[in-house]
Amino acid sequence: MNESKVSTRYANSLLGSASDKGTLDTVAKDMELIYSTIKSSSELSRTLSSPIIKPQLKSSILEEIFSKRISGEAMDFLKFIVEKNREDLLESITSKFLDFRDKKLGIINVKVISAVPMTEAQKKKLKENYEKLLAKKVRFEFTIDPTVIGGFVAKVGDTVYDASLKNQLEILKKRFLKGGASLN
Amino acid sequence: MAEVRPDEISAILRKQLSGYESETDIYDVGTVLQVGDGIARVYGLSQVMMSELIEFPNDVFGMVLNLDEDSVGCVLFGESTKIKEGDTVKRTKRVASMPVGDVMLGRVITPLGVPVDGKGAINTDKFLPIERKALGVIQRQPVKEPLQTGIAAIDAMIPIGRGQRELIIGDRQTGKTAVAVDAIINQKYTHTEEAKELGIKPVYCIYVAVGQKSSTVAQVVAKLNEVGAMEYTTVIAATANEPTPLQFIAPYAGATLGEYFRDNGKHSLVVYDDLSKQAVAYRELSLLLRRPPGREAYPGDVFYLHSRLLERASKLSDDLGGGSLTALPIIETQQGDVSAYIPTNVISITDGQIYLESNLFNAGVRPAINVGISVSRVGGNAQIKAMKKVAGSLKLDLAQYRELEAFAKFGSDLDKATQRTLAKGARLVELLKQGQYAPVPVERQVISIYLATNGYLDNIAVSEVKRFEKEVLEYFEVKNNKIFETLKRERQLSDSTIAEIKKVADEFITVFK
Repeated sequence: MNESKVSTRYANSLLGSASDKGTLDTVAKDMELIYSTIKSSSELSRTLSSPIIKPQLKSSILEEIFSKRISGEAMDFLKFIVEKNREDLLESITSKFLDFRDKKLGIINVKVISAVPMTEAQKKKLKENYEKLLAKKVRFEFTIDPTVIGGFVAKVGDTVYDASLKNQLEILKKRFLKGGASLN
Repeated sequence: MAEVRPDEISAILRKQLSGYESETDIYDVGTVLQVGDGIARVYGLSQVMMSELIEFPNDVFGMVLNLDEDSVGCVLFGESTKIKEGDTVKRTKRVASMPVGDVMLGRVITPLGVPVDGKGAINTDKFLPIERKALGVIQRQPVKEPLQTGIAAIDAMIPIGRGQRELIIGDRQTGKTAVAVDAIINQKYTHTEEAKELGIKPVYCIYVAVGQKSSTVAQVVAKLNEVGAMEYTTVIAATANEPTPLQFIAPYAGATLGEYFRDNGKHSLVVYDDLSKQAVAYRELSLLLRRPPGREAYPGDVFYLHSRLLERASKLSDDLGGGSLTALPIIETQQGDVSAYIPTNVISITDGQIYLESNLFNAGVRPAINVGISVSRVGGNAQIKAMKKVAGSLKLDLAQYRELEAFAKFGSDLDKATQRTLAKGARLVELLKQGQYAPVPVERQVISIYLATNGYLDNIAVSEVKRFEKEVLEYFEVKNNKIFETLKRERQLSDSTIAEIKKVADEFITVFK
């Protein structure tokens, strides 16, 4: 509970300062990179959360990994976090930052699950429809899952738009089971 | 067995399928973070309402009880072993509710309205939320009609009115359930043609069993069936093996069904058997949901738990149809300790209490009602005039008897007047003894009490009192049946009626051996 409060505070301040300076796009890109790097490497996240490794060492490790890939502002932020001994929260800070940025820019993440890959035309149409429905910019994340059989499932936050064949069949099954009384 | 033709099946299939249209299903979901002990914490469900029903996999339902900053705490109405971490939870967008309607009568159901008596599905499309707000001041009116329990001691001295809340309190094995079941059985009279003619409206009964043995519930249902009381009764059973959340909501479900009758201008009687077990169930849930414990480890809102339930009992104003919901909550005490937390709470909420004592029960005074400390704060207005008249002297005589009883134990020589009071008291106590499942109509109660308080029993041995009562009432029936009729119709003891009663009784005294 406390951790999320801490990361919220750091993420919010970074967002504020970056948008004040007008460098939000670059910083956001850097944060995406940092987030995906930490998420993909368990070694790195373990190193960052280890209390045995000294802050100076962590700082230099981060510098070596990221200094050529990210902007000076983002690098300063990394160093600042290590200095404050919050490096173990780096993953949640970056993910929070990305959430807040999306909120600020009015972008909404939609996860789309379909049985077969969608064509570009389908994706475009889906995007148009969802942007109209939600009145926001939509960023899609497409995944393939054969168990949905046909159609698609779109997840927007906690709400699910289920247009999959799997769900339709389940509804039909339920209806048959309910209507079963009329058979006997 | 008749054969089913294939074309018949396909016709049915076609019919079922024809109404089916494929469309996008939109629903809100969350993920189970933690599950166990009948409690689940769910992440997501950001729009969920308090006490909303939510659907887990494997047809398990839950109810939201906690809305926290980043998770939702809910209780499960099914087995928690069927749910695992990471499962998807769906919103149903409706608060916990139960089906209501006249078709619920004669059935045994769970608090969510699922029948458990094997008589098939209940066809009703009317649902009401389990938690409803109690009515305000404007919608109510004072209690004015009697609810006859058929137990002479109660109807005479602790009268219950329609819309009242009367607590039945006592140790284990003192006959608390028996009193309540007798009250239900006695409502059979209100459903007869005769009652309709006399302007007595029928009372529909609801028996809520919380945390009881299934065998006890089965016994009650069997008895109600046997005497034909099940026709106007619904039994809501949350037995000891049911999940705790069901035991917690069972009384509210009963109140909801009672309110359905009340709001339709009818009268209902709800027995909550018993609320101490419901408080225990609620304590368990609260502790598991990590709410801070208070006195006796009950949560801080355990008073509100019972007050909001019992406040739903009411007598509606005439503008709203004049229906009523009478509540008979039952509380079990430990070793007669009425100063424990839950008993004091419920005593303070209700409009009176009926104390049952185990030493009276063991001494053979059954129903084991201690009339000295039992009270009814509002029922007096609802008593019929005839009963009020005879009950006044009964109360006085019994009070004098109790006062002198302690002295009598010293065995010292007593004066004539004291002896007379003691003898009369002993006979009155004997008269108020009554068998189980044997409710007595009010007009008969009036006559027996009249005779007892007017000295007709003074020369009868204590052991003969019950026989005298039985035979004198039979004699009345044979000799002057009209007296019962007049009492029922006029509802008061006019001088002419008294004269007639005296005449028949004097006749009987001479022939009684």
